[in-house]
Amino acid sequence: MNAATGRAGVVRAHDDAGSMDKLAHSVLDDVLYNIISDLLMKTHREEKTARATTAAIRVEKMASDASESSTPDSKPEVRIETDAAIYEDGKVLLKGNPLKTTPEILCPKCHLPRLLHPTDGKGSKKPDPSIIYCKKHPYIDKPGCDIYGQSWVGPGPGRGKKKKDVEKNTDSPTPEQRPPNVLSFPSATCSKCKRCILVTRLNNHMGSCIGNSGRNASRAAAQKLSNGGSQHDGTPPSSQKATPTPGSRAASPKKRDASDDDEESENSHKKKKHKPAVTKKVIIKTKPTLKKEKVKSLSSLSQEQKANYDNLTSSVDVAPKKVVNKSVSPIKKLKVGNKPPLGSPKPKVKHIREADGESESSGTLSSPPAPH
Amino acid sequence: MSARPTTPASPKNAKVKSPSPGSPMFGCEHVQLLFGQGQEVMNSSIAHYKMILRGIFDATPIVPQTSTNQEGRPVTSLTSNYLCLQCPTTVSEDDRLKHGTKKSHRFYVDSRSGSLYCQICDDLVWDPTLEELRVRKIGTGSFTIGRKRKHDELFTDSIKEDPRYISSNTTIASCRANGLRGIYNAGATCYQNVVLQSFLHNPLLRNFYLSDGHHSNDCQVPHCLSCAMDDMFQDFYALENTNGYTAANILSGFWISERKAFENLVTTKEQDAHEFFQFLAEELHERTGDGKKPESGSEHSCNCIIHQTFYGKMLTTTTCQNCNGTSNSVQSFLDLSLGLDHLVQKRIRKTGQKKPALTLKECLDEEYIKSDKCEYRCNHCKGTQQARRHTTIKRLPNVLSVQLKRFEYRQGRHDRAASKIDNGVRFPLQLNMLPYTQRVRSRDSRENLELERSCTYDLLSVVVHVGEIETGHYVSYCRVGDQWFKFNDHKVELASLSEVLGAQAYLLFYIIRSLA
Repeated sequence: MNAATGRAGVVRAHDDAGSMDKLAHSVLDDVLYNIISDLLMKTHREEKTARATTAAIRVEKMASDASESSTPDSKPEVRIETDAAIYEDGKVLLKGNPLKTTPEILCPKCHLPRLLHPTDGKGSKKPDPSIIYCKKHPYIDKPGCDIYGQSWVGPGPGRGKKKKDVEKNTDSPTPEQRPPNVLSFPSATCSKCKRCILVTRLNNHMGSCIGNSGRNASRAAAQKLSNGGSQHDGTPPSSQKATPTPGSRAASPKKRDASDDDEESENSHKKKKHKPAVTKKVIIKTKPTLKKEKVKSLSSLSQEQKANYDNLTSSVDVAPKKVVNKSVSPIKKLKVGNKPPLGSPKPKVKHIREADGESESSGTLSSPPAPH
Repeated sequence: MSARPTTPASPKNAKVKSPSPGSPMFGCEHVQLLFGQGQEVMNSSIAHYKMILRGIFDATPIVPQTSTNQEGRPVTSLTSNYLCLQCPTTVSEDDRLKHGTKKSHRFYVDSRSGSLYCQICDDLVWDPTLEELRVRKIGTGSFTIGRKRKHDELFTDSIKEDPRYISSNTTIASCRANGLRGIYNAGATCYQNVVLQSFLHNPLLRNFYLSDGHHSNDCQVPHCLSCAMDDMFQDFYALENTNGYTAANILSGFWISERKAFENLVTTKEQDAHEFFQFLAEELHERTGDGKKPESGSEHSCNCIIHQTFYGKMLTTTTCQNCNGTSNSVQSFLDLSLGLDHLVQKRIRKTGQKKPALTLKECLDEEYIKSDKCEYRCNHCKGTQQARRHTTIKRLPNVLSVQLKRFEYRQGRHDRAASKIDNGVRFPLQLNMLPYTQRVRSRDSRENLELERSCTYDLLSVVVHVGEIETGHYVSYCRVGDQWFKFNDHKVELASLSEVLGAQAYLLFYIIRSLA
């Protein structure tokens, strides 16, 4: 028993210990020895196989160089011998122990020498600048860096950071001179609006651009309700996706509304007729020119509608916002379901969209107001 | 050595592995001499090596661990013995030389690992032919490639297996492209990143996508999540880029997808990684599978990659306490959800510890070994009766995903009074699921070993939630080969085994050891 145990020699019982004590110590010692032996065997296998492969690659390369054959895959009919291997009849035979004969390791894929030590951090060594190494490098273990020795500009994105910090972050990286392994956060293109968004804000952007977060959520909910629970999963989302005009414009920033309106006024006369009327509810001063057009076009409307719009515009001109909503109530009855909720966060944009709905319905007079 | 599908050696004549470029024919000159002595010596050597391997891996270890000492008495050792390749002798390490000089036998097999030792080299030797046998024995339990594979080979175009055909039709990825990249956090999306990383380092999914499993070029589905996954796998495994990845396509696919069950998930706020895992699995099933919607609770089978990878089946047996009548129901499952709260409370009551630590085994025992009482409407007794319900696993999946229910929602999902159970749960690197299946051990020890092998799992990745429920953060650990990596959004770091095993796991992914 004694001869076969105690090989690790780490766990030893006292000389005067009892036999059970001694047994327990030698069992523990053996188990430790086995663990070390397993680890060693694994590394040995990896290393020796890699060196044997290297010896084979090298001798095969010499053989193919010597044969001057045009086809690289054919087996050259030469005999080549190196310190580590023999090439003969398309076979590679080892000479000696590759752990002794072959000091380096070639990548089996690209046949370039492998870098054996990381370039930075724990256990690093300076690589030989004259050698082109295989691109697979040992991973770097260094605090503050990832496995490639990279770090990132500024603190981590997202959590707990205020918007303005992130914005500052985007501006700073370009002018600064930073080492090549310090990266900045990239931007990505939104699949819907095709705008370039900083990656750390992509989720928020998609929430407002595609998703049903914020204002869109309430609209989607209303749509689902009106569809009666909507068993057809496809309809509500696709209808929202497919009609980009109201949805996407509503989601686009406020600044662009004016230009959008101008574009559309070229497209359809009917639309521009009414838009100013309602838009004016909120932005009274901004569009004086459109007001004139409105007056011109009103003449083509039916009496009933004219009355409505007169009512609307007049009330807007005089009254402040909150009163507007109240005084408008009779029209609300006519255009059922078109009114935004009073507590809507961005009333301005909402009203414009509503105007679209109204103008469309009045444009095709024969059809009833579209249920929204 | 990779397990290349070579034609298995005929039972009569053993063959040396045919030469392949970049690898020597034999492990060392001396093995070459041994095999060069003629077909008969080669046959007997290989047959004997196989027999030794069977003795090591299929039977009780006491046989190879026992050698005879000089006085002729048997000695059993915990450390390795050496089994002579040329005769049926087992010697201890010290007696190797003596046996060698006496009999001129120079090759021994390590009794614990089956590796070959050459006395003339005085070193372990990794011979391609013998090593392939050993690796296959350890991996699948048999020396030949499975029957199914062989059947497949009859029908596959043999030219496609030709290395020249492959090299002329593929672009070889750079040696740097290894699938290790971070994923940028797009604003509280770390719960997605951790799940994506565990998908990316799942060998089954990786092989599916890298072997053109999803035909992105022909895919007509707008904003298809499977196409997005395909792109992501390409970017991870074919590009040299070491910078983080921007999962814009996944994200937009996620936003555009309107899945009823996951509507709550689609917000700009931090969400539950487990729910995202379910979402992704169901969405990818619909893109790659039979198109049927997976109904939870039903016994849904499908051949899609998601079902092949993650789905298993469990059997619930309800026994009426009145008439002893039983009823069975089979459900397919994507993951095993293990409750912690109940066990923690029980442990506190029992031991008085403030924060008791649990083990994964205890949680699994609780759900899949113990039975519980329930009310049950018995068909036979025509009325509601007390019943015992027992759940076992009928079919184990290839990748077993386990959720440790750390988040308790007392009322609704949006109840902000949700709390986190942050007790430690220890989990093993190697998991034996046999006790939770219906299969029973037989008397035959060899059959038992086979059975156990087919139920053994290795840890593949761990999703960890750190911090409080509202302000927490997700990171994940994934294993690539034998090395563990920590994925914290865009940052990839080396991770030690103790770091992985000490982490506060939320989701665990185990992969089956042998795909038999």
